[in-house]
Amino acid sequence: MRMPAKTSRLLVAVSLSAVVLLILAVIWLHQHNPSRGLPYRDTFSQGRADEWTAFGGTWELANGTMRNNSDERGAKLLTGSAQWQDYSVEADVMLLGLGGDAGLTIRSSGEEEGVDAYHGYYAGLRSVDDALAVGRADYGWSEIIFPLKPRGITVLASQWYHLKLMAVGCTFAVSMNRIGDDSITVATVNDPDCIPAGRAGLRSYSSGGVWRNVIIQKATQQDLQQMFSRQHPPHAVAPKSESQSSNLVVVPPLSQSNIPQALPSSPNTQPVSSLRFSSLGESKTATIRGIVALTSPVLVVQDSTGGVEVRCAQPQPLKVGDEVEVTGQIEAREFSSVLNNANVRVLWEGTPTPAVSVTATQAATGAFDATFIEVSGHLLQKHYGPDDTLVFDLASGSQSFRIILNRGRGNSLYKNLALDSMLRIRGVAVMDPVYTQGTVPFALLARSSDDFEVLAGPPWWSAGHLVLMGICLLLLAFIANILYHRIENMRVQAVAEEREHLAYDMHDTLAQSVAGIGFQLEAIRMNTPEELRHVHRQLDLASELVRHSHAEARRSIDMLRPQQLDSKGLLSALMHTAEHLVQGGNVQVIARTVGEPRTLSLRLNDALYRLGQEALANAVRHANPGTLQITLRYDDDTVTLTVSDDGAGFNHDAEAQGFGVQGMRKRAASIAATLQITSTEGSGTRVVITAPLAPRLTLMRWPSQLRKLF
Amino acid sequence: MTESEHGGAMAAADPEHARIYWNAPTREDDIEGQIAMVERVANGGAQGLILVPDHTSALISPVRSALAKGIPTVILSSPLAMPPGDHLFYLLNDEVRGGELAAERVSSILHNHGKVAILGIDPDISGITTRARSLKETLARTDPGIQIVTDAIGSFNVPHEQQMAEETLKAHPDLDVIVALTAVSGHGALSALASSGNTHVKVIYYDPGDTSFDDPNLDSMILQDTRSMGYDAVRIILASLRNQPIPPQKKFEPTLVTRENVNSSKVEKLSYMEWRTKPLQWTWSIGP
Repeated sequence: MRMPAKTSRLLVAVSLSAVVLLILAVIWLHQHNPSRGLPYRDTFSQGRADEWTAFGGTWELANGTMRNNSDERGAKLLTGSAQWQDYSVEADVMLLGLGGDAGLTIRSSGEEEGVDAYHGYYAGLRSVDDALAVGRADYGWSEIIFPLKPRGITVLASQWYHLKLMAVGCTFAVSMNRIGDDSITVATVNDPDCIPAGRAGLRSYSSGGVWRNVIIQKATQQDLQQMFSRQHPPHAVAPKSESQSSNLVVVPPLSQSNIPQALPSSPNTQPVSSLRFSSLGESKTATIRGIVALTSPVLVVQDSTGGVEVRCAQPQPLKVGDEVEVTGQIEAREFSSVLNNANVRVLWEGTPTPAVSVTATQAATGAFDATFIEVSGHLLQKHYGPDDTLVFDLASGSQSFRIILNRGRGNSLYKNLALDSMLRIRGVAVMDPVYTQGTVPFALLARSSDDFEVLAGPPWWSAGHLVLMGICLLLLAFIANILYHRIENMRVQAVAEEREHLAYDMHDTLAQSVAGIGFQLEAIRMNTPEELRHVHRQLDLASELVRHSHAEARRSIDMLRPQQLDSKGLLSALMHTAEHLVQGGNVQVIARTVGEPRTLSLRLNDALYRLGQEALANAVRHANPGTLQITLRYDDDTVTLTVSDDGAGFNHDAEAQGFGVQGMRKRAASIAATLQITSTEGSGTRVVITAPLAPRLTLMRWPSQLRKLF
Repeated sequence: MTESEHGGAMAAADPEHARIYWNAPTREDDIEGQIAMVERVANGGAQGLILVPDHTSALISPVRSALAKGIPTVILSSPLAMPPGDHLFYLLNDEVRGGELAAERVSSILHNHGKVAILGIDPDISGITTRARSLKETLARTDPGIQIVTDAIGSFNVPHEQQMAEETLKAHPDLDVIVALTAVSGHGALSALASSGNTHVKVIYYDPGDTSFDDPNLDSMILQDTRSMGYDAVRIILASLRNQPIPPQKKFEPTLVTRENVNSSKVEKLSYMEWRTKPLQWTWSIGP
């Protein structure tokens, strides 16, 4: 049984719609799967953290850990899916300073930069009151403070703690233990009107912090109960972290009681700018006081007069913004100095230096060597540098310079930054050839990807956009062309239909009436006595006039109603016309096609038919031919109609401009065709009409077509 | 006391079904961050702006820009260096009275004889300089026998303020009272005294984060009525949107909180920290 075409089409449409809906449903389910991306384990040790998004802070990877050196209130780093529901997040956490807290967030959403600018839950270790703070943020903060176990334990800076936060339903459990210590603090909170889902993250408030071994996994009610009843910390995480971060600088923990006394700074401190000239020709020791502007890859300390690179005698856990006093041996360089074998004493923390806004030319002079600056430029190039760094080459006016960034979280920045974007970058300017490679006057050591600000994307007239625009214009032109031809065909079709209508009208009225008159005249003649010769002659004349009029009417009808006038029927229609014209005579009509016939537009068909008809009529009327030849030749981009005869011919110069020929030329011009008439007296006439065709686009013909275009 | 302020704003907004967007820069001295936040809010379709400015003059342009967009703006606590009017309103802490309160408290402790240090002066915030001036003028007038040994510029950095306090204590071992003009400065002073073991010096400080009297050196605190400011600010915005007449400026008298009155209903109301209109119904336990 055969299915009707309409039903078949409907079935196909329904099937396609169902498939599309199914695909969309699968994508939606995948996106909203509460377990998508779980379990998760950080790749900080491999220097990868692209999946994390920062909201404030100076988040960077260092020795397999994620570090926020900033003392901002509520700097956050988020990862995961907003659809995550029941899961736990755990990590080793270290506070970098006192007077704040550091911890983990769970079920976070709607994050912005700001103090409590998110919706979600947070558990953190707080040094101010040596407690575990658990709370909920909704662009405002509500919290519960839990004392730590055992009683009297203090939260220290530079000390690793293991923190775990779990959410199952509307119950939240948090556990904390000092690494290496068996005592564990566990608490649960039930929030009846809880936030049901959200991402996981790291957060610090004022203290800065370091995180490692971040594990996020699905959690169940059983996990919750197990966590709450646990008396000893799990041992699965800590050993790996110790080995992974063996390079991490860990100093004896700082607490409120053993924090270095904030003594007045040394009276012998000197401005940083004076270092370059105070050690000329001799080895000298100097003491400066300034603020840490950069900790990696080099330590840079800056005061109001400039910056200096500091090479510490002993590694120290310094943060950007720490106000320090540095004593070391001066090594003068071309544009700045280095303090070698230096001792650094932290005076206080949390006073970050604002960047000095300079032009690239000002920075290129070396006046801002080892200084935290802000500079703008266009991104020319980006590539991976040595030691797992990302290198961005920029230009500003006639100056070019380079930005160097530790790969860490910069990977997504690297991927997303479009060439020729206008950027504003903050970082420490260095003139050292180690960084400039002798190719640019200065380089900028950026602290994190957050130091990049895109001021404007690349201009729209990029090569890619221009090509795209060209393609769009070509497509538009192509569509316009198609529409034009379609409208033109419709017009010609309408004209043809009107002509056919006229032809039918003429056939049914005028021709029939003329035929009727002829019959009536014949009847009169039959009934008229032979003696009335005069009347018979007049009747014969009238009958002849009627026949002539009838023939004319038929010819007009034929002219108005081309028979089977399509590309296949053009030749046969012309042949039919020729045969009709020479009917009763001794003229041979030969018609042939050369080449592969192609579909011709109605307009072209009609014009060629009219031109051929006129040429045939002229040949029959004036040349008295023995043979009429009609040839239709199809080439790649032209169609040629040739009508030739072997008749009397004519004097070309004298008759070529006749009214009929002018009409033919006009009609040929309307289809952008050429009309060529060649004739000599006694040797026949040849009429050649060559009309252009749209090129036949095939795979093999593309190269030749392109050559023609360009 | 930002939670109280937030609570006041929420209490006024909730019955009117107004939505509050509440945020602050992650650093208290991040003026650029606050400017960016104001611009973002003004460009984000907010119908009103309530601002506690971090700087007297730097916030003028963004506030003018918000006003030009027809956004009624209420400045809380400390004024900008521009006059009120044309949809700009001030709800200010009465800093002159705040200075007088501290002076009266110092007077009651020292009885016209002793040494006082004033710490934490922030020239960027006009309210703080006003309270410092009022304190000094009142003391000079009422207790000329009291000597002000130092008045130090402060910051929003506790260790820095602690160091300033320690330097002051070293320079003036016979100091009697420290008046800290900010909470940060007050915490720094208390930390310095705690680490030195000094129990003689009394500390009076302004704008505390909470009203606990755990520290023996803490004498008293001067509290702004931030809850009323937050409440009135939202009411003003709503009234302005309804074209109702509003006085361009209003001052709120601060309150001296001492160990004696800390549990009074007035102080409890002033220091109530809950900002949600429907407090969280949390239950919790410590295990195992």
